[in-house]
Amino acid sequence: MIPAKFDYLAPTSVEDALSALSQHGDDAKIMAGGQSLLPVLRMRLNAPEVVIDLGRIDSLRGIREDGDALVIGALTTHSEVVTNDLVRRHALLLSAAAAEVADNQIRHRGTIGGACAHADPAGDMGSAALAMDAEFVIAGPGGTRSVPASEFFVDLFETAIGEDEILTELRVPKKTGWGAHYEKFVRVAHQWPIVAVAATVKGSGGSIDEARVALTNMGSTPLRAAATEAALSGASATEDGVRAAADRAADGTNPPSDLNGDGDYRKHLATVLTRRAVLKAASA
Amino acid sequence: MCGLAPSRVLGSLDYGAGGWEHASVRMLATGKVEVLTGASAHGQGHETAFSQIVADRLGVPFEDVEVLHGDTQIAHKGLDTYGSRSLVVGGEALVRAADKVIEKAKPIAAHLLEANVDDVEFSAGTFSVRGTDQGKSIQDIALATFAAHNYPEGIEPNIDAESTYDPINFSFPHGTHLCAMEVDTETGRSTMRKYVCVDDVGNIINPLIVSGQVHGGLVQGIAQALWEEAVYDDSGTLVSGSFVDYLLPTSADTISFDIDHTTSPSTTNSLGTKGVGEAGTIASTPAVVNAIVDAVRDRGVNDIQMPCTPERVWRAINTSSPKGGATEAAAMPHFDESEAGQSSTEGAGA
Repeated sequence: MIPAKFDYLAPTSVEDALSALSQHGDDAKIMAGGQSLLPVLRMRLNAPEVVIDLGRIDSLRGIREDGDALVIGALTTHSEVVTNDLVRRHALLLSAAAAEVADNQIRHRGTIGGACAHADPAGDMGSAALAMDAEFVIAGPGGTRSVPASEFFVDLFETAIGEDEILTELRVPKKTGWGAHYEKFVRVAHQWPIVAVAATVKGSGGSIDEARVALTNMGSTPLRAAATEAALSGASATEDGVRAAADRAADGTNPPSDLNGDGDYRKHLATVLTRRAVLKAASA
Repeated sequence: MCGLAPSRVLGSLDYGAGGWEHASVRMLATGKVEVLTGASAHGQGHETAFSQIVADRLGVPFEDVEVLHGDTQIAHKGLDTYGSRSLVVGGEALVRAADKVIEKAKPIAAHLLEANVDDVEFSAGTFSVRGTDQGKSIQDIALATFAAHNYPEGIEPNIDAESTYDPINFSFPHGTHLCAMEVDTETGRSTMRKYVCVDDVGNIINPLIVSGQVHGGLVQGIAQALWEEAVYDDSGTLVSGSFVDYLLPTSADTISFDIDHTTSPSTTNSLGTKGVGEAGTIASTPAVVNAIVDAVRDRGVNDIQMPCTPERVWRAINTSSPKGGATEAAAMPHFDESEAGQSSTEGAGA
């Protein structure tokens, strides 16, 4: 379908984008890669009067090191996250999750910032960012602020980004040498995950020292599997060693029921996928 | 059974239409041939296969034949394409129309060759006088007929022809399909490991098109077994109303199929062809479901409702008793006569 009529702005700096946003307020929508917004516009699920395209703000792109953190520009595409050497070395989980986003065409257009700001609970990058303890850097009229992932995802399609603010970058604490795996359960290749599990593991000598595990599509936001993480500390990296911890992955969750599965089936899937994700992460 | 026929049998069965098909062959002055068919294609490749048949029958170059269809202002008569009938019925109508063209052209050819009609024979596109090296191509005859400067008394200057062909019987394609499925019993997800099929569709006019028909049919049938489902809620609203929820597979979701053929020519049409359009769709759906049920039979599962979603398979496994309690007869697959007329019995575990 054809979207409703809208005005199109393409600022070339964050300052210009913020001023456009403050001018148009509620009537404006921010566009990054457009892979979620454009379908929404075409299906007329939303009809903003103004679309502010961030695509010409070069400072929002790119991946660099900053001390103990990796800084990823919000407009960095999934495909850059998949292949970038710094990400693979210091934040392997982000690379693994980005590799599972939709299909190749979408990975070349869609961005890590756009995906996180869209905050679809079935989106792949939210749980990966949450497991990595990423900080979200947000620019607004009064300057920039930083929000931890645990506070960034507020509800279904809702984040800590204010109406007059723009997400500019993710600061990801380096987890150099940690193994990682993103285990995504779908029925057909191009589908949103029914459930997915993001796991990253620091191990030595066949046992797990530390683990971070987050769940996709198990609630209205990405969720940390805290009980599992605690139980994995010191566990042996074997089926039996991981099983008891993984069985707690769905504790306290309230997943949705839809055509692809009832909530109780999703809870079961979360435990199985967590076990597999942790074991693969431990051997990655 | 494909190519439902003959029409009088269909009438006796209260079928809504006849089983014939119509074709016309027009010989243009340029030597080109226009073929009109009522078996209107929507991507199956009729244009190619029908051109092959006419080119072969009339002995003219393949590229000189054009197949026209799909508009009743052009091809005014026909019963269309369905039920694996296009080649079996529509193709045979073409053969008969082309043969009529040859018969109509023969006296004109004899006239131009100054020979007796009985001494003229037609082969590989050329009318020739038996025992001589004199001959004229059917395309030459088409031009001479259009000019009409010199043709026999008592006939029309026209070698176009049409045929409405009503078959004497169905055709009977048959085949065997084997499918190996792997079931992840922890998640219920089913994955295809191997698919082998051998279909006998009689003589094959175009091998590439037949392979395409089989591949497309397989994926459609497999999708019915695993993915596609129109789901309505309690108030009658379609909830699988977009391709986000109504799952269509892509090449990423299917494997390479091993397909092959035996060739037993049909005796109900002169081309010896049988229908192929439904070979893949008919066999693949039960092959896939039976393979899944077979994989989890030792868990006490005897049936799973299509499509075999991971959740349905998982629930079937987790609510059935392992084999031992069930009788052997109850555990056998899968098509019980007493269930044949009923719709959608619930899966064993549902």
